[in-house]
Amino acid sequence: MRRHLITSVVMLLVVTVAFGFCYPLIVTGLSHLFFHRQADGSLIYRHGKLIGSALIGQSFTDSKGNPLPRYFQPRPSNAGTGYDASSSGASNLGPSNPLLIGFVAGVNTVGLNGAPSAANPFATKADPACVPTDPKGNPVTSPAPGQKYAKTASGEYVCDPNTIPERAIAYRQLNGLAANAPVPVDAVTASGSGLDPDISVQNALDQAPRVAAARHLPVSQVIALVHHHTQGRQWGFLSEPVVNVVELNLALDGQS
Amino acid sequence: MSTMGWEQLLFVAVVTAVAAPLLGRYLAATFRGGKAPGDRVFLPIERLVYRTLGVDPESSWTWRAYALAVLAFGLVSTLLLYAILRLQGVLPGNPAHAPGISPLLSFNTAISFITGTNWQAYEGETQASYLADTVGLVVAQFTAAGVGLAVALAVVRGIAGKARTIGNFWQDLTRSIVRVFAPLSIIAALVMVSQGAVQTLSGFRTAATLAGGTQKIPGGLVASMEAIKLLGTNGGSYYGTGGAHPFENPNGFTNLFDLFIVIILPFAILFMFGRLIGKPRQAYALVAVMAVIFVAHTVVSMQAERHGNHLLPASVSQAASSVSPGGNMEGKETRFGPEGSALMTVGTMGTTAGATDSALDSYTPVGGTGAFAGILLGEISPGGDGGGLYTILVLALLAVFVAGLMVGRTPEFLGKKIRAPQMKLILAYVLAIPTTVLIFGATSLVIHAGTSSILNPGFHGLTEVTYAYASVAQNNGSAFAGLAANTPWYDTTLGLTMLIGRFAPIVLALAIAGSLAGARVHARTRATLDTAGPTFIAFLLGVIVIVGGLIYFPMLILGPIGERIVG
Repeated sequence: MRRHLITSVVMLLVVTVAFGFCYPLIVTGLSHLFFHRQADGSLIYRHGKLIGSALIGQSFTDSKGNPLPRYFQPRPSNAGTGYDASSSGASNLGPSNPLLIGFVAGVNTVGLNGAPSAANPFATKADPACVPTDPKGNPVTSPAPGQKYAKTASGEYVCDPNTIPERAIAYRQLNGLAANAPVPVDAVTASGSGLDPDISVQNALDQAPRVAAARHLPVSQVIALVHHHTQGRQWGFLSEPVVNVVELNLALDGQS
Repeated sequence: MSTMGWEQLLFVAVVTAVAAPLLGRYLAATFRGGKAPGDRVFLPIERLVYRTLGVDPESSWTWRAYALAVLAFGLVSTLLLYAILRLQGVLPGNPAHAPGISPLLSFNTAISFITGTNWQAYEGETQASYLADTVGLVVAQFTAAGVGLAVALAVVRGIAGKARTIGNFWQDLTRSIVRVFAPLSIIAALVMVSQGAVQTLSGFRTAATLAGGTQKIPGGLVASMEAIKLLGTNGGSYYGTGGAHPFENPNGFTNLFDLFIVIILPFAILFMFGRLIGKPRQAYALVAVMAVIFVAHTVVSMQAERHGNHLLPASVSQAASSVSPGGNMEGKETRFGPEGSALMTVGTMGTTAGATDSALDSYTPVGGTGAFAGILLGEISPGGDGGGLYTILVLALLAVFVAGLMVGRTPEFLGKKIRAPQMKLILAYVLAIPTTVLIFGATSLVIHAGTSSILNPGFHGLTEVTYAYASVAQNNGSAFAGLAANTPWYDTTLGLTMLIGRFAPIVLALAIAGSLAGARVHARTRATLDTAGPTFIAFLLGVIVIVGGLIYFPMLILGPIGERIVG
């Protein structure tokens, strides 16, 4: 056993020199020789200034966190406070989690006719699925007797804005869609990395009229730009058709 | 499933079906002994290593000596990695000034990488320094892969060979790393970089975003780690979100390439086995079993994820079309869509890699069960590098024994009789992991230290906990990441589970091989069970489903099945 231990130590030293140092450096050298732009992070520069990476999504919000109408909006993000590339992350919410779906599955799945009921006391006409928040703003999924909830001045419960039904409502409002207009699923769900640079084509088309209005451009011009920046399926079947939000917004800025 | 989903699955299947036998031929030529391809390049390197180690590569050992060497190497590797993680704060290569990692988390992480589990209770981006990542973790990924392949070679020699000895660990380890993992990793890393994976020594770059904010864009030696993470069926990523991160897995091609390089070596090792024992049909039979399980659990998940989450409002459009991927997109990247995500993530669950490109915790109950099934069936679709081979061999021995009981004959595999001493070891092998998973899993559900880490309430929370133990016990390392696993209870018990899950099977597989080494090889008679025919393939599948299914069924009822029914 002692001999094995000594041999193990020497072996580890050998492997550490070879694969801890030589291997990554060889790969780095070859990468930069052949694929410098990719190896460096597919960075985008404008007028010599670094403005981001073609692969990493960005937030297009004002300083208060409200979406800027003149930019196409990316998907919701759980990376830090949103598209924080130094802390990628997913919501990890299960498919039946009230914080995601807006109600307690199996409990108040009935009675969602828009009126408050014993099963769903927080429902309103405009918002039949509501996860109420406590006075600190944290969503509450398992109400305790006598628990206090945050209410608006008009006496309605304040709902967690990050459930899918709430996001769908916000998406329709932002884009001026009808109350029951279909919302593409990628627009109301967060990605696995929180850094998804892409949205679906449908999501981009739904946003185009709003962006055009905010920029005083003809809608047709913005839609043409969306189509121009649509990446079809790689090799015809390897990926979904997507629109890269960072590149699309960059191109928009170049037009107006 | 959509046409695109089938096309992706078919693409992976065809490419693997072509490449795995070829790579298997290379492996067989490399490990048969005597002249091997690439000797001109590799032999001088190997000789240098043997001289430095002071070992005689040609001496062949008993299974006990072999197992002791594996354990000694595991112990020393764990201690070194533990030291690096604890001391990274004062070591160089730490531009982000990450402090040393706490004792329990270092314990958990060191074991996690040495065992090839790559369970990541730490935060990839912030908690590990560059040195810890590239020197500590990447080196562990190479050695874990090499140890797996080495053990498989020893087991093959014992089960099929005529000698009483089963080989030399240092030779097997050196050759595996030098001739298999090093060259393949360099090639794979360059392919990934060409598609956009990052490989740079620079740290964070600050960008002024279009909307007037700032964004810190990470750098790092990502592709070189990705390559061995996947080829070595390790699974531990540079960034916290793994294959979902655009810098690790930038497009649809890399998504399937990642899956391909995870499954290629385990399949190739099976073909190597067939050539080494001179019975390629035997390998085809085992490959068929693996392929059936792979396709079954992957297709179930792809279908479920495409179908979407039925608890969302009807006005959220989950229908797939040419302008929207549709499906259950929470925790998934737009470029992969629900099917591409499920194919890659669930496809790696039948291996010890457990690499993910999407958040498993947000999978639908059925989709998540597909991932869970890959793990619970013992990770043989196609398993880890080496681990896949020796696990399916043990299951084949079990199936031969059950079949022998049915017809009242002494069971035989590859002409060697399976008797009571072997059966005791085989049963210990089959029971070691479920016992550990169920005991720790059940305990976690009744003590506060266990339940307080659960993110999602109800059935889903039970899945989070039991999935964690099953995943680390099988050295898979994927997670329902909602579980806050960096607590003293989970760091300790998951660490112990990984140790048992890695080394109990290794020692038992070597012991089985040792007990069969040198045993008489009986000639085939008309009454000998054909262990390569379709009947045996179906029978082995049945044994696998019964062993995996019955042991874990109550757990599945209380977890995903309950969630699906009640939700």
